Amino acid sequence: MGRLVLKNVSRRFNGVIAISDLNLELKDGEFMCLLGPSGCGKTTLLRLVAGLDAPTEGELFLDGKKIEGVNKECGFVFQEYVLFPWRTVKGNIEFGPEVRMVGKEEREKIAQHYIDLVGLRGFEDHYPHELSGGMKQRVGIARAYANDPKLLLMDEPFGALDAQTRNLMQTELLRIWETEHISALFVTHSVDEAVYLSDRVVVMSARPGTVKEIFRNDLPRPRVRTSQEANALRDAILRSLGAEIKRAQSK
Amino acid sequence: MKKGYGRKEFIINILSLVLLVILWHVLITLARNDIFNAPFIRLKDVPTPLETMNAFAGSLFAQTYGPALTYGIVDHVQASLERVIQGGIIAFIIGVPTGIGVGYSKLISNILNPVIEIVRNMPPMAWIPLAIFIFVAGGSIFIVFIGMVFPIILNTVHGVRSTDVRLIDAAKTLGASEAQVVTKVVIPTAFPSIIAGLRIGLGVGWMAIVAAEMVIRSPVGLGYFIWNMGDLGRYAEMVAGMLVIGVVGYIMNITILLLQKRFIRWVD
Repeated sequence: MGRLVLKNVSRRFNGVIAISDLNLELKDGEFMCLLGPSGCGKTTLLRLVAGLDAPTEGELFLDGKKIEGVNKECGFVFQEYVLFPWRTVKGNIEFGPEVRMVGKEEREKIAQHYIDLVGLRGFEDHYPHELSGGMKQRVGIARAYANDPKLLLMDEPFGALDAQTRNLMQTELLRIWETEHISALFVTHSVDEAVYLSDRVVVMSARPGTVKEIFRNDLPRPRVRTSQEANALRDAILRSLGAEIKRAQSK
Repeated sequence: MKKGYGRKEFIINILSLVLLVILWHVLITLARNDIFNAPFIRLKDVPTPLETMNAFAGSLFAQTYGPALTYGIVDHVQASLERVIQGGIIAFIIGVPTGIGVGYSKLISNILNPVIEIVRNMPPMAWIPLAIFIFVAGGSIFIVFIGMVFPIILNTVHGVRSTDVRLIDAAKTLGASEAQVVTKVVIPTAFPSIIAGLRIGLGVGWMAIVAAEMVIRSPVGLGYFIWNMGDLGRYAEMVAGMLVIGVVGYIMNITILLLQKRFIRWVD
């Protein structure tokens, strides 16, 4: 479960073409990273998959079911965490089960499971403003997982974190992803991050955004960030991406 | 601005009050001894702090003179407070849902905004004559309602409109329905603003009730009390009543602020 298919997807905003004729397939259980110059429609693409926005043309399917309206089968992790500030850690994680009318006892069991999984035991009753950036994003990830989604959508989830925390959170995310294996679509600006995390890396073209090149990444996990193979892949991706960034800037 | 309220701040606050009372006393005493007199003001007729205090103590509780019963300040405070609370509850019940509707729905906003914008500019006092002849009872409660409902509506609208759209997106992807977005995202976001509206509204309502009681002439209530004492030439009681109005208003404000701190722990 968690197979995502995008067929000839386009999205225009008042004449501006954000995404143009994009075709992409995310395999079941695959971890895919999206890279591309700023404004190439990465976030728009995630919003389309989440059903928060509708394509102007084309169709999207999750496990063969067409995505229409808000797609409640996916968990969204935002860059700025976007936690409910009036809810505690536990309250945030329980939000999904709560709106789906899961009983109180079951809800608490789910919340506790994910609190343990993301390593927040002891912080159940803290409010978001009492947490560090890394901890907030742990809550964000747990909240998305608590709904038992088929697909995880992440929009630069570690973009606001410092370099050290970022590396730690990448390792943590892989650990969580390996325990609760679901497909993941991960938007990032960091080639390092993409090489460290993903099974495949998609490089998108400058606006109008579409798939420019896809890199397979079969390096065995746990990966060594500085291995020769990782460097070679990083180099290839950077070259592909660099050309697009140049194109985006010359516009 | 420096935060926190410590011993030093407390001492300065108390000293300033003491100083004011001393100044008041000196000014009136000088005027009475013809040492100093301000032009156009009959300072001599103003009671001194001590006289005011005595009058306060003397009229605190109800007294009976033969068959006649005089209400005490306690009864007047209670009567006024009851009206403010009754008017406030009605204003809250009507104001909060109205504010949520106006803030959340463009259509409701377009329908109600003209009415709100015009009516909110009519001060509660301007409603008193109308209230006198259309309400058989509860006219002053209606005046409180008018004074309180607009601050509550406007603050609720402001709170609702400040909802982070990303929080709404987050709630939707987590499975929330449109109604759940309102109850679980929009209202919690607006909650601090709603309480702020209630606090501002209470201030307005408290002023409105005093004015209403003066004109509507209910036999009990602080506004009636100070107007009546003024009529009778009992200025010490009148000033005591004025001070009571100030102190009770201050206590209401502080109470809401404390409740706010207690219930809104998520903001830093």
